Amino acid sequence: MPNASDLMTGAAARRAAIVVAAAVLLVYPWIAPNSYLRYAGVLVVMYAVLATSWNLVGGFTGYVSLGHAAFFGLGAYGTGILIIDLAVPHVLALAISTVGVVVFAVVVGLAAVRVRGASFVIVSIALVTMMSLIAQDARELTGGSSGLRVPPISADLDRTSNHLLFFNLFAALLFLAALTWWFIDRSRFGAGLKAIREDEDKAEALGVPTTAYKVAVFALSAGFTGVAGGLYGMWFGNLDPIFLFSIIVGANMVIMALLGGVRHLFGPTVGALIVVPASEYFLARFGETQIHIVFSGVLLGIVVLFMPDGIIPKVRVLLRRFGPVSSSIREETQQEFRDRQGVGA
Amino acid sequence: MRQIRRRRPLLASVVTLGLLLTACGEDDADDPTAGGNDSPGDSEETPTGDPITIGISLPLTGDFSEPGKGIQEGYETWAAMMNDSGGLLDRPVELIFRDDASDPNKVVSDYESLITQEEVDLVFGPFSTRLVIPAAGVAESYDMLFVEPAGAAPEVFEQGFEYLFYAAPAIASDHYNYLAEWILGLPEDERPQTAAYAALDDPFAQGTAYGLKEKLEAGGIETVADEVYPPGTTGFTAIAAGIADADADMVVGGTQFEDTVGLLRAFQDLGYQPDLAAFSTGPTLPEFEEAVGAASEGVIAPVGWSVEADFGANQEFAEKHREVHGKEPDEDAANGFTTGEIVAAAVEAVECAEQGEECQRALADYIRENEFDTIVGPLSFDEAGRPQSAHMILQWQGGEIQIVLPEDPEVQTADIQYPKAPW
Amino acid sequence: MSGSLFAQGLALGLLAGGLYALLSSGLTLYFGVMRVVMVAHPAFLFLAAYTTYFLHRVTGMDPLLTIVATVPLFFAVGIGIQRLLVSRLAPESLAMMSVLLTFALALLIEGGLGVVATGSYRSITVEYATSAVRVFGVALPIDKLIGFGIAAVTFVAIFLILRVTRFGKALRATIQHPTAAMLVGIDTNRVRGIGFGIGLATAAIGGAVLAIIDPFFPAAHWDYIGKLMAIIVVGGLGSVQGAAIAALLLGAIEGVVQVSAGATWAGLIFYGFLFATLLLRPQGFFGGRLAERF
Repeated sequence: MPNASDLMTGAAARRAAIVVAAAVLLVYPWIAPNSYLRYAGVLVVMYAVLATSWNLVGGFTGYVSLGHAAFFGLGAYGTGILIIDLAVPHVLALAISTVGVVVFAVVVGLAAVRVRGASFVIVSIALVTMMSLIAQDARELTGGSSGLRVPPISADLDRTSNHLLFFNLFAALLFLAALTWWFIDRSRFGAGLKAIREDEDKAEALGVPTTAYKVAVFALSAGFTGVAGGLYGMWFGNLDPIFLFSIIVGANMVIMALLGGVRHLFGPTVGALIVVPASEYFLARFGETQIHIVFSGVLLGIVVLFMPDGIIPKVRVLLRRFGPVSSSIREETQQEFRDRQGVGA
Repeated sequence: MRQIRRRRPLLASVVTLGLLLTACGEDDADDPTAGGNDSPGDSEETPTGDPITIGISLPLTGDFSEPGKGIQEGYETWAAMMNDSGGLLDRPVELIFRDDASDPNKVVSDYESLITQEEVDLVFGPFSTRLVIPAAGVAESYDMLFVEPAGAAPEVFEQGFEYLFYAAPAIASDHYNYLAEWILGLPEDERPQTAAYAALDDPFAQGTAYGLKEKLEAGGIETVADEVYPPGTTGFTAIAAGIADADADMVVGGTQFEDTVGLLRAFQDLGYQPDLAAFSTGPTLPEFEEAVGAASEGVIAPVGWSVEADFGANQEFAEKHREVHGKEPDEDAANGFTTGEIVAAAVEAVECAEQGEECQRALADYIRENEFDTIVGPLSFDEAGRPQSAHMILQWQGGEIQIVLPEDPEVQTADIQYPKAPW
Repeated sequence: MSGSLFAQGLALGLLAGGLYALLSSGLTLYFGVMRVVMVAHPAFLFLAAYTTYFLHRVTGMDPLLTIVATVPLFFAVGIGIQRLLVSRLAPESLAMMSVLLTFALALLIEGGLGVVATGSYRSITVEYATSAVRVFGVALPIDKLIGFGIAAVTFVAIFLILRVTRFGKALRATIQHPTAAMLVGIDTNRVRGIGFGIGLATAAIGGAVLAIIDPFFPAAHWDYIGKLMAIIVVGGLGSVQGAAIAALLLGAIEGVVQVSAGATWAGLIFYGFLFATLLLRPQGFFGGRLAERF
């Protein structure tokens, strides 16, 4: 009988599920059988962070940024340069670099959000390509095409412990990003952003400060991406300009968010969970030729054409087929109802 | 809002599934037979027993796929020869390849996977300085010997690696040494007065060109043009225009293959005729002549290996390579083979081939303290892993490669032509 | 920088600009007709280059003659893409989805080329095009001159089609205001398909030209995306002649910068102009009435 107590059980079940998921996440690096899987875990969580950060802009406002890797790379280089050239301690370097990335995003954002839709995409591509060229050229600052080597956060940490540490750091960042998304989703700010997505002109007419909102969420998203970049720099140690400012990384962020579902809190995370192991697998299996690129293209094409809302709704529909069939809205007889109410026959 | 919450039980299952898939999926993917390694061919003395597994990540796709494949072939020839003659420590040798798609992240994850998941006994290095440094970092943290065929830029040896050795005659900045010596040895009036440099923005390519530049500048030859271009450049006319305008007596290229051809054609187009033209890598490949035709005449390049040379097992290597791959070996394959040779010699001497600091450090110490008779000549190394020999200088003459320096009768096959014929 | 070097750089830049003009005209058509950012246009360009290469290799056909075969093929493919793929996208999220869809196409093409042709650089050397013509001390490489010539002829042809023919007017009407075009009886679906087809046909021609000018490899298309995007923004989205003017201008500047400050700065100027345009005049500089803001 559907009643209040059933609803509460349902909510409890959901909460339990979240706890289970979080527990699995925290426990994973300890149960991973070898160092490589720990490394892969860090990568998955990092991409989950990147995809979730991207989704702050992409999911709420509908503006597609294919060049989000620009902030990733900036965060990495910013942190790296501060540590190497100015001997700033790691944590402080991360903080300063993130502030720098956010300021940069505000400046760029003010120019970029003057255009919409397709032009915005073009601008984002231009941004990341520019940064890639500059990073490769400015040898004294960025090490040019050889890149930079960032000293590890602690020389005493062996490789496995390093993976462990950064797994947890990225997991914490993911939690923060998800929390931010969650807050925005239920806030006025979020409502304004969604209005921009639905119809920007009307939103503006209704008094939503569209430019301010767009720049704000753009900067926020860039900030999280920048932190992820800085963490990556400290974890991986080798900064390579071609990878850090690559359109492919940016496209992967988009694919993951889209695959999982851009309207959902954990959509990007689910997307990362699917795409990262899958691409590692494809590369290992088919790596002799460029077939893995074909697979990426096919996957993206399928998602765009057939699953633009992401995989979560589709799976939900699938699972519902296995659940109990709900028929009538009333599942008790009138007699039972009166009994329940304590009313006489 | 309830819609979001409703996904969470679903999410929990997907998350767990995903993580399990990661673990399982990787295991399947790490199946050595799927990765495309070459099983040692059958022959008279195929060794039996527990194979010695050797993990290698190479760029089989992406920017560096051509030389990556060349090195793979060299490794495979080495493995075939080893297994023909009884194996290593009487055990068969098995190569496990991974493709890193010329991506520094992938190369790290490849070696991490090979070492900790596949638990290979030994590792060989990948291609290109850009990939060697991160890969060597992984090997160092697991205390694995890291002999590599293609990381030659100076910075490779400045990282403090204790297990790294470069299996070729000399590091990048020393590639042109014999040429520098020869040029500066010419009488003043015959010597080129001005030089132009064009380099790919890549640590190896720039290393070679700037190594020569340093020595020539010190010897009084003026630098009138110095162009650098990013990887993936295909249009060289504008770059060549700057050099042609400066009309230097000689031009030096720090290049790979395609840019050598691109620059040369551009110089042809613009009518620039230097007295001496030297490029790294490009002219060492047989496809060079196909690509530029008669313009190859007189072009100079540093080369670590020559198919005619009688060093060590070179002729056997060439023959086996033809047998296994059906084509002539090139310098990349030779570097791969040399890597195998050095590791094999160390393993046989130290009598161990397994993971673990004790064995790997003993191997590293052995390599540092001894000289090896390889197909590129006698090789020994300094504390940082730099090889102490020198690259030869070749020149194309009459559509064929001739070794023109050093002027040692054992090595030289023809005299150097200078000034070179117009292209 | 000497005068002769400046002139040389300018000349080379203009020649390159001609090719850019041809390529960006195709991009403009996609954008005008379907409001689609066809990120895969450069990928098709290189697909055409490879097709030309293999046709030349296998049949010995002169690479420029392969245009006869590739143009109809690509034209048909263009119509197919518009009908079967692009028109399936929901209009609300068209911007995001079209970019991603065409991005997927680009990946497919790059991967496919890599599998079939491997990653090695390919190029075609035609004997009649390896030298240069000297005009006032400036060397004009013949292969680039031919490329410029073909690009110019094609561009003029497209321009004339748009201006003079009935179909061209229908296309321009569809670009300006699809609903109004339908109201006056234009079959906008058919027009859109053909517009897309023409766009892809320009890629076919551009590819044949590219095959004889510079070496190419499967991943080379990424460089072109940024440049062409910048050109159509500077020129004005939706304006074919605007794109051409911007192409020549930016090409010339690129050439001069390349011989003086180097290849990296030359690449950066495109983006510099892009951002400047967005800040000062988002609808582009040369588009006239046809230019769109987004």
